[in-house]
Amino acid sequence: MAASRPLVAVGLSHHTAPVEVRERVSMDPAGVKRVLDRLKEQRILQEGMLLSTCNRMELYGVVEDEAGLRSFFHEYRGPSGEHIDRYLYWKRDRDAVYHLFKVASSLDSLVLGEPQILGQVKDAVRLAEEHASLGRVLHPLARRTLSVAKRVRSETDIGKSRVGIGNAGVDLAMQIFGSLSGKRAMLVGVGEMGRQVAQALLTAGLDELLIANRTFERSVELASETGGTPVPYERLEDYLARADIVLAATGAKKPIISATMVRNALRTRRYHTVFLIDLSVPRNIDPGVDDLEEAYLFNIDDLSKVMEEGKRAREAAAQAAEKLVAEEADRFVQSLRTVDINDDLAVMSALAESIRAQEIERSGKLTRTLDDKQIDQLDRLTRSLVKKVLHRQMMAIRQAAKAGDQDTVDALLAPWKEER
Amino acid sequence: MERLPYILVIAGWAYVTLGHLLPEVLGPRLVARSRPVAWFAVAVHVFALALGAATSPHPTGLPEALSATALGLGIAYAWLAHRNLAALGMLLAPLTLVLIGTALVVPHRSVVALEETGYSPWLPIHLGLIFSGIAGFAVSSIVGVMFLWVRARLKQKKLRGLARLPSLDVLDRFQFRAMLFGFIFLTLGIGAGGAWAAASLSDPWALDPKIIFTLCIWAWYGMALQVRLVSGRRGRWTALFSIVGFGGLLFSLVGLNFILSGWHAYGG
Repeated sequence: MAASRPLVAVGLSHHTAPVEVRERVSMDPAGVKRVLDRLKEQRILQEGMLLSTCNRMELYGVVEDEAGLRSFFHEYRGPSGEHIDRYLYWKRDRDAVYHLFKVASSLDSLVLGEPQILGQVKDAVRLAEEHASLGRVLHPLARRTLSVAKRVRSETDIGKSRVGIGNAGVDLAMQIFGSLSGKRAMLVGVGEMGRQVAQALLTAGLDELLIANRTFERSVELASETGGTPVPYERLEDYLARADIVLAATGAKKPIISATMVRNALRTRRYHTVFLIDLSVPRNIDPGVDDLEEAYLFNIDDLSKVMEEGKRAREAAAQAAEKLVAEEADRFVQSLRTVDINDDLAVMSALAESIRAQEIERSGKLTRTLDDKQIDQLDRLTRSLVKKVLHRQMMAIRQAAKAGDQDTVDALLAPWKEER
Repeated sequence: MERLPYILVIAGWAYVTLGHLLPEVLGPRLVARSRPVAWFAVAVHVFALALGAATSPHPTGLPEALSATALGLGIAYAWLAHRNLAALGMLLAPLTLVLIGTALVVPHRSVVALEETGYSPWLPIHLGLIFSGIAGFAVSSIVGVMFLWVRARLKQKKLRGLARLPSLDVLDRFQFRAMLFGFIFLTLGIGAGGAWAAASLSDPWALDPKIIFTLCIWAWYGMALQVRLVSGRRGRWTALFSIVGFGGLLFSLVGLNFILSGWHAYGG
């Protein structure tokens, strides 16, 4: 990696550490700044970026003193006073790049494909930038990380399907209505699953939630929690015609919403589509409702299918995304090597040029006898000679760098570095 | 018809169709360029039709009719088939390609009426309105097919991959709008044709079989809109009206001119 200083990713996450440990190392922006300052002051890091979320704490850095970094982390203790070293993972160079790309693309998240992590990575980049701790490696890495995460989001389906029964209900509602703006839902019963779906619908933009329950007080209670409107259970049939979405989650032992009720409601609402979710067992909505042309009825098993489908789609998308991320990591590491080598080769050329100039200077006897034109020709000839002599060696260095053969690169550059 | 620009148009639509039906062949980056390619194909297509109109003595045969319909579909694709309606491209792009391909291979014969009227400024107005209307009905029926497909999958609870398709409400709105667009333009096109015929054809032009059949189709679409706007029946009803109506329209466009005699029949 850059000038032979390794790029290291070290940290812990929900994969390796329990919440009791994670909460101990979690940091606010001021804490992040303090850590970065300290590591730079103690010359442990040349460049650094720290990502701290509720599920992970990771430090990405170009490391000057790896032993120093290890002892820095050794200071941290878990809830029982144990060192946190055993929860830490250490990744170097290409693996560190690959890991950061995966994290930012939400491929390492607790909920695969969740969008928040990208914002958190952006915050970490901003903090590091404010603290001038991004340099010639981390700066391009941060930029590339954000673009890779965006590519993953736009070129794969990783962010398209969501988890949880509430979101499964939202996905189905979206498939039917396209948008929940201007839509009204009615929650019949105040069961936990019904609440979850209703809440998810509200979060997704539902306009109004009616709540009907046998015990009116409980409707009022839930309405005040969710911002819904309690309606009398006895007038269920009237309100059925006003609802675009009906959620049934009561403990009733037989259907409380019949096909006839829905047929009448559809007539009243001039056949505008109605989407019904029956979350109860035994079922609360007569299955015959689904035979009505404009009614779409889904029960708890159907919702499970939606969740299963979401999971499958996410897994398939994750495979494609990981391939993309791996290619990008290889490309990035390659581009860093090229930048490094170009710097070294520039130094090599400059050194050769200074040797050439010195030699010309030393041959004063000869040059004094030459006119301007001849001096110019001599200059061009010697430059060309130096260039040709260097060319093969430079090619060999480039090829070794491209192949990741750092030993050969170092061996070929060593005489020039000694000279310097 | 001038073939060279049409070959470019076909190449463009082949690219777009491939992007929809076999996206892995093109890869995501090239698939993302389908829409600009479609606009390019539309521009070349407009040029090709204009060139045909300027250079051909009778640019009103079946190839031109199919080509104009394909142009309407192409514009509809480039305009609509992105974001949440991207899946429409799966049907619109291949249909456009097939129509252009057919336009290039069917024999060119001009309609009888033109032998009597010759060229008139009414001609582009009549044809422009009629083919805009046909394109609207074509889009409506394609969206209708997709509506029935999505609806059937929701009813059968076959939910795999459904998230890639547009929502039922969006499809229903578009099939209705396209039908309304088609109806307005067909009405104006029939009116323009009637005015032109009254001014320049000898009687009895109103008993022309194509005119009678087209009026029946016009009435069919009128009924479809009536059912939707008055009784509120939408969705599947609109889709079925649309698909049957477009079937009739295709028969009127392609089949009727060959089968029956009359002013719109193909002459020499």
